[in-house]
Amino acid sequence: VNVMAAKRDPYIPHHVMVIDTNRCVGCWTCAVACKEINNEPLGFWWNRVLTAAPNESTTAKPPASENIDVPWGVFPNLELAYLPVACQHCNDAPCVKVCPVQATFRRDDGTVLVDYERCIGCRYCMAACPYGVRIFNWGDAEYAPGGIGGYGKDYRYDGRLVVEPVRPKGVVEKCTFCVERIDVGQEPFCCEVCPIGARIFGDLNDPDSEVNQLVNEGGATQLHPELGTDPNVYYVPVRKRVVQES
Amino acid sequence: MIVADHLRFFQPLLSQGPMDGGPVITGNATVYRTGHSNNCDGACGHLIHVVDGRVTEIGPAPWGTKTVSGAPAPTFHPRICLRGLSQISNTYNPDRIKYPYKRVGPRGSGKWQRISWDEATSLIAENFAAAQQKYGKKSVWIAPYTGSLALIEGVVGAGFRFASVIGASAGDSEGDNEGDSSTPAGWNYVLVDPTNPANGGGFFTGHESVDFLSAKAIVFWANNVAETSIPDWRIMCDARDASGTQLISVDPRFTVTCAASDEWLPIRPGADTALIDGIINYVLSNGLYDADYIRSYTVGPYLVDPSTKKWLRAKDVIAGAKDDYVVFDSSDGTLKAAGDPSVRDAAIFGTHPAGTTQAPTALQLLADMASKYTPEYTSKLTDIPASQVVALARTWGTQKPLAVRVGFGLSHWYHGDLHMQALLTLQAITGNIGVHGGGVTTFAGGITTTAFDFLNFWAPKGTTIYPLLEPMNFCDAVLKDDPYPVRAAWFMIDNFAQQMSDRNQVVKAMMALDFCVVSDYMLSATCDIADVVLPACTYLEKTDLLSSNNFYLQYMPKIIDPLFESKSDLDAIAMVADKMGVGQYFDQSPDEYLRQIMHLGQADADPTVKGLTWEQLTSEAVHLNTDPMPYVPFFNKQFPTKSGKIEFYVEMLLPFGQELCEHQEPIEASPTNPLYKKYPLVFLSTHTKFRTHSQFVTLPWLNEINNGGQGFLEINPTDATPRGIGDGDVVRIFNDRGQLKVRARLTESMKPGVVNCYQGGWDTIRVKHYIEGHPNNLTHQIANPAQALIPNFPSNAAYYDCLVQVETVKG
Repeated sequence: VNVMAAKRDPYIPHHVMVIDTNRCVGCWTCAVACKEINNEPLGFWWNRVLTAAPNESTTAKPPASENIDVPWGVFPNLELAYLPVACQHCNDAPCVKVCPVQATFRRDDGTVLVDYERCIGCRYCMAACPYGVRIFNWGDAEYAPGGIGGYGKDYRYDGRLVVEPVRPKGVVEKCTFCVERIDVGQEPFCCEVCPIGARIFGDLNDPDSEVNQLVNEGGATQLHPELGTDPNVYYVPVRKRVVQES
Repeated sequence: MIVADHLRFFQPLLSQGPMDGGPVITGNATVYRTGHSNNCDGACGHLIHVVDGRVTEIGPAPWGTKTVSGAPAPTFHPRICLRGLSQISNTYNPDRIKYPYKRVGPRGSGKWQRISWDEATSLIAENFAAAQQKYGKKSVWIAPYTGSLALIEGVVGAGFRFASVIGASAGDSEGDNEGDSSTPAGWNYVLVDPTNPANGGGFFTGHESVDFLSAKAIVFWANNVAETSIPDWRIMCDARDASGTQLISVDPRFTVTCAASDEWLPIRPGADTALIDGIINYVLSNGLYDADYIRSYTVGPYLVDPSTKKWLRAKDVIAGAKDDYVVFDSSDGTLKAAGDPSVRDAAIFGTHPAGTTQAPTALQLLADMASKYTPEYTSKLTDIPASQVVALARTWGTQKPLAVRVGFGLSHWYHGDLHMQALLTLQAITGNIGVHGGGVTTFAGGITTTAFDFLNFWAPKGTTIYPLLEPMNFCDAVLKDDPYPVRAAWFMIDNFAQQMSDRNQVVKAMMALDFCVVSDYMLSATCDIADVVLPACTYLEKTDLLSSNNFYLQYMPKIIDPLFESKSDLDAIAMVADKMGVGQYFDQSPDEYLRQIMHLGQADADPTVKGLTWEQLTSEAVHLNTDPMPYVPFFNKQFPTKSGKIEFYVEMLLPFGQELCEHQEPIEASPTNPLYKKYPLVFLSTHTKFRTHSQFVTLPWLNEINNGGQGFLEINPTDATPRGIGDGDVVRIFNDRGQLKVRARLTESMKPGVVNCYQGGWDTIRVKHYIEGHPNNLTHQIANPAQALIPNFPSNAAYYDCLVQVETVKG
């Protein structure tokens, strides 16, 4: 989808991402890809993969350790699932509402972005975000060896600086849905690289799109729908789980 | 680039950049395609973005859509995982070995002096020549291993050519320090005649990964595919989503693969054959076998002489018959030679009169052997509920085709050969070998086919192929001159001092060498013991070709110039060879060697690569000409065994009492072992998604996720609590061979009585991922003599066949 075209054309897509947790095996490839394409500093993870139980109503015993990959339950009746979490790109985004300088804004396609030139580092948005996906640049960043990687360039939407390879000290950063990629018709990098095909990106307005099918017929749900944030990231819940006879 | 500027907020909006909001295109990346040749079997294709000579982005690369001859190739998704994406910081790692070094302190002291390539290669040439003069040519041992699976600089690569041309011995080309040899040996028992020269001493292959899409059920046996070969898990999910394929895991650990499967059978480690015998018994006694398949393609109907247990021969029991196997024709009640065209109904079961004796069919012997493996008895041996044994047996007998994907974990056992023999037996009686969606697959791909002429690469005209000295024989060769003295060694793409089992013994042997060279790009535990260290290239800095674990040819161009003073192993070998007077064997470019290995453009090229052009090879990842497609071994049901059939009754194993796949207890990790009282825990050292064996261990992105890179012991609270071990406590894991100290991670994913510490973390002078030691300080090198029947897979490190005790460490 080319936003330039979209602007000339009255049609505006509704970008959503659907994550099929039946497929997710917690490999963190999406998170590392995010780190690569966005040149995220050491210690920064715009996208993280949480270890979880397959469903929220589980009665299984909590994990014996708080580390990743440790299952719920008691051997051999065990449950293990994963929940990759980045910015949920909410249609009714608390971060947009609280930003005193309109640095965080929502595009008409549903993408929530930070204008790094406007951000004053007040971190209201971090307090407001119920998903804990925003990160503040407290100091000078350190990076993995190899220099600036990934997209490597500035990208502006409507003149606003929304992609910057090295974010300055004092701004808040987060997932951009890879706006510089989706605006030229590519998928977000995490969706392109997911080795299991668990991450699907597309236009919810398009009735033939895979995301439309998954949201309307595949049972995909939003994270914490009770908060009324109306995210544009959806999760297909785990349908199957190991049932151990003993 | 852009510096922090608190004043920027005050700049007017829309002051910079294009007003239309369109993309800002700056810079110009050149994008290359290559294959990631490290040893994880993923064999991913990478797209490498280079800006101003520096790699800036790595992403997944598309696959060619055609075969060499232009036929459509299967649909194969671009693939990559967290390790591949992290390769920029591997190549640009500040801890790379930048220059050649020689040791200046005592061996193992970590004191180095930078030297020139000229001095380094002179030292190697002189010391190799001195050792060869004093102790014989074979006393120099070349050990190129599986750190790379590329053709020129990998487990099948130029190191073997160098060994041949100087007359040195070399480690085997199967590799992986031998933990991966027992299941291939078992595969050859059943499917290959190792004594037939046409079989080259044995081989090992499997189904192309997309062939699993045809399976109705897939059993992951000791195979944590969703963690260790992550992109292959997509194919399994695609099969389940498209066709309802049932996914079943057999594993003592609740791995992510088990969690994502439909069924999990938490087996007692090493009891695998018992479970298979239980399924065989159920399948045979409930009519769930494939009688036609058994009759046509297996030795099932052939009669066995009850006194010798050897095959009954037609010439001995049928007047005038030629040398052949014997069957009992139920249609007329007579014995006939197996090849007799008048055979109408060869009996697969029963014991039939043969001369003065009663001769059973091979299938009858299998049924008799398996009969005691009732669901209840199987349950007792395997710790799997009898109902689950029956459920799996019913699946096996009713879901066809059924595919088995086996991890090399099943090979890390003294009886790994038997595990594979048993799986193939079960797949044979259910008609699942040589069919789409069936088989038993660990590894497949171009490297396992006849596409490449390795023999002429390893031993160019005028030279003799190197003598094989197995890694398992290294210690004895150095310390006891058995089978001959080894005094000098060159380790390439191999972290032998850490990854080989019984590490204390290995280090002792390495310290006893007169001279030791190591080529690597990082200062590994093996480098720590070297006299000369050479800086090697990563996959981005040299030319090669990858065709492992898929059937595509992935040309690997040199994408960036070698950093610092690193050189490819081929260039390093060429310098040494020149100084040893054999430079003429290494005077060509990698491209030229690739042309030779594939007989490119020649009439005698293998059918899989026939007609391949250089342009084709270097413009996309082209699929081999395979028959069928996706590739299935033995699709034509021509088995290269003595009988031409699947030999689940293995006559050559009679001396080992292993002619049939009857369960045997592990050599060490068994409750029947008296040692079990002292060391009651089975010690596994499995693979993690955060590294590939001992590579990529210091990459910060991966270590940020993976506990800072620090190793830990997975232990069930049931085992931890009585020992006073809490989550995060430091524990000592020990047995008579050595010890390891790490922190405990309590998890119900471990079967009680089994503990696990991921292998591959580093224990070097400078980098310690374990508080003390390494998992291989606990493992052993007890070899199974039966495997010696298969020349290419003669010995195996049984890493998991290992007992330990665990205790807390005070203070």
